[in-house]
Amino acid sequence: MTLTEALQVLLLGITLGGVYALMASGLTLVFGVMRIVNIAHASLMIVAAYISFQAFKLYDLDPILSIFITIPVMFLFGAGLYKLLFARLPSDARFGELTVLLTFSLALIVEGVLGYFFTNTYRSSNPSYATDAISFDTLYLPRGQFYATLISVGLILLLWAFLQFTRTGNAIRATMQNPTAAQVVGVNVERMSMIAFGLGTGLGGAAGAMMSFLFTFYPGKHWEWVAILLSLIVLGGMGSLLGALVGSFVLTISAAYVSYFFGPTWSPLTFFLALFVILLVRPQGMFGKKMEAA
Amino acid sequence: MLLELENVMAGYGSGPNILKGLSLRVEQGQIHCIIGPNGAGKSTLLKVICGLLRPREGTLVFKGEAIDGLRTDQVLKKGISFVPQDRSLFPDMTVKENLRMGGYILKDRGRVEARIEKIVEMFPILKERSSQQAKTLSGGEQQMLATGRALVLEPELIMLDEPSMGLAPKIAQQIFESIEQLNDEGMTIILVEQNARKGLECASWGHVLDLGTHRFEGPADTILNDPRIQELYLGKRRQNHQEGQA
Amino acid sequence: MTRNRVQTVDKTSFMKSKGTFLGAFIVLLALFPLLQFVTGSLNYWLYMFLYTFMYIAMSSSWNIIGGYAGYVSLGHNVFFAIGAYFSGILLVYYKVSPFLTAPFAGLVAMVVGLAVGLISLRTRGSAFIISTIAMIMLVKISLDNWDYVGGASGMSGPFLQISREYSKMPFYYAMLLIAMGAVYTSYRIRHSKFGLGLRAISQDETKAEVAGIPTSMYKILAFAISGLFVGIAGALWGYYLTYLKPDIFLTIGIATHMVLMTVLGGKGTVAGPVVGSIAFIAINEYFVTELGSTELNIAATGLLLILVLLFFPKGIVGTLKERGKLPAVLDWD
Repeated sequence: MTLTEALQVLLLGITLGGVYALMASGLTLVFGVMRIVNIAHASLMIVAAYISFQAFKLYDLDPILSIFITIPVMFLFGAGLYKLLFARLPSDARFGELTVLLTFSLALIVEGVLGYFFTNTYRSSNPSYATDAISFDTLYLPRGQFYATLISVGLILLLWAFLQFTRTGNAIRATMQNPTAAQVVGVNVERMSMIAFGLGTGLGGAAGAMMSFLFTFYPGKHWEWVAILLSLIVLGGMGSLLGALVGSFVLTISAAYVSYFFGPTWSPLTFFLALFVILLVRPQGMFGKKMEAA
Repeated sequence: MLLELENVMAGYGSGPNILKGLSLRVEQGQIHCIIGPNGAGKSTLLKVICGLLRPREGTLVFKGEAIDGLRTDQVLKKGISFVPQDRSLFPDMTVKENLRMGGYILKDRGRVEARIEKIVEMFPILKERSSQQAKTLSGGEQQMLATGRALVLEPELIMLDEPSMGLAPKIAQQIFESIEQLNDEGMTIILVEQNARKGLECASWGHVLDLGTHRFEGPADTILNDPRIQELYLGKRRQNHQEGQA
Repeated sequence: MTRNRVQTVDKTSFMKSKGTFLGAFIVLLALFPLLQFVTGSLNYWLYMFLYTFMYIAMSSSWNIIGGYAGYVSLGHNVFFAIGAYFSGILLVYYKVSPFLTAPFAGLVAMVVGLAVGLISLRTRGSAFIISTIAMIMLVKISLDNWDYVGGASGMSGPFLQISREYSKMPFYYAMLLIAMGAVYTSYRIRHSKFGLGLRAISQDETKAEVAGIPTSMYKILAFAISGLFVGIAGALWGYYLTYLKPDIFLTIGIATHMVLMTVLGGKGTVAGPVVGSIAFIAINEYFVTELGSTELNIAATGLLLILVLLFFPKGIVGTLKERGKLPAVLDWD
């Protein structure tokens, strides 16, 4: 493998890393705040992908611009789902297999409904930049991926700033670190949970919009995605945004190399093998805490 | 009378009542110490007062207003603060950020900052460790931080659940001294202590809880020497407990 | 003195009657296929029965880790696939009948369960669930790329050399046997110290550990055992279909069904998976024949699961038992 080839693969991996990080960050945020593993996260991303796709097909709306639609729509959808499904549960039932089964069922419902309306045809948006590439010297950057990763990293930084500098963001961080203490200082933990869930799905909404031109999608694809994203957050440490960021880049770059050497059908394996390795070596993930709450 | 509880019943989830008709009076300007065996409901009592747990029956009146059923942020606004048993700090936030969170319900940042300044004068070690993460602090420092955080809102009544727990005697002594100092400045204090002696030495009035009810009360120094305490903590009480419980 | 004796006699005869009732029922089930020699038109019913028996076996197995221990496995059809491919390979390349190799397929699945469990059960709840999902993907990708078994296109095997009229009957009996085996295993575990330990783990693992229960070992054992009958079922089903394809055996639908049937019937009870399997398959058949099979089926499954979880979390058997209305013949706990 020549240096140029190695660099090229590295570049391909990096340009995808940001997008994966965005997808994983919504998931890990929700877990961090309320200990819910949202198995439906990927299926909700695909909902956003369909919204984006339809907007592109019917109104020529650029998929990247569509995030201005998908983010608020998915935020509201997420907050609503939280209120409907999780808010009514007593807090001790909250942590446990019940929430997993609930989000699992939710994923099925979303998949079924999407399949009914859109059928199982493989879809993908194709704005000009999806097939275009920026080239310099002998290396090239797929333009669509490049834009997507920039936006993703930008959104993650925005999220970080929100959590660090705003009153609501601080309240959410407090809830993530110690829900009892948050209550004691007067944070409305229920409300923060709802907002955090909405934020998580909102971020998924942005990711979905970009997914629409980066990958092909169909209703059933979310299982593959969810497996990858869940493995990512376990690797990074469940509830850790930094972990999601670092873990994503590490794994997408590794997967790019696996794809180069063994072929693209083997590259998803990277994520799952990494999961089992991290469980063997450091079960709490790279940046995770030793013991979960319950 | 600053705080009055009348016949309060409370429990967790769908479980049995922990508080079984508890009535209690807290006088302004005093340090009240609540003691009692495990399971008596001491921590539950504090949680009900500050709104972490809704009472199932009974009334709570603070400065003439009913506070039963209020949310924690509403109770905080009325002037009651709470320092939980395990200190309940935000481990990854710095000392400064933890203190700021104490003022969460106040929108006036300036007032919060001014108040924090005063608090770190009282606990100088916090100023030293201002940008350190809360989880790196020692037990005593954490207790000071938790107490300081509760003081940001300038409460009239502050409740501390087992402040000396897990602390070396010398550090615990420092904590009690700061509690007395707060009282000298006019604050009313409710103290729950497993270590009856330490708590009652610091307090002016003592309450004894058992099995979810308020058994008896009196001046702190007389309570300590009351023979009924012996009964409560050893032998005789256990026998009654077995006969009395289903 | 006499009063006590009467009571004891009543209890034993009650137990006996439950036992004889069930025994008689099983004998009927065993005799049922013989009618095929008479009418020759029972193929649909034979299929429905054997399909139900298979799911009874699989749901009862899932219940051991998901119900008793409280560790939700969403990747249980990995065992299904492993069993199918193990026997499938032996059939296609070495001409050995899956009826012979199925038990070994189950053992292989068990060993895999042991190995995976050693890694993934080092953590609590959430990470385990995720690892089961990752497990499916790992196996699916590996099988998709393994040309020896036909990769993603799969491979077909030889048909069972019996005329179409009677070809379902061996499968019927085989599935009936594993259903009985799985339910019996579930019953014995429930009434053992092992089962008690598992229940303690599902309630509060920290306390169970402190109480001296070897939680790690129990969890891993439960996970491994839960793979046994699912593996055997896979081996038999692969033979029944005469076709192996990663897609068929590793679709999320199979895992979903195992979970739903157990939860619907009553997670953590012995009779629950049985009742749930029968109930769900019946309901599903009804909807498919009346309304046709569309994507909405998936949505409906999800909706049903949510409704049960939110409003009847103890499932049919559990809720009935709670209200004291459970018919004694179904009370196997």
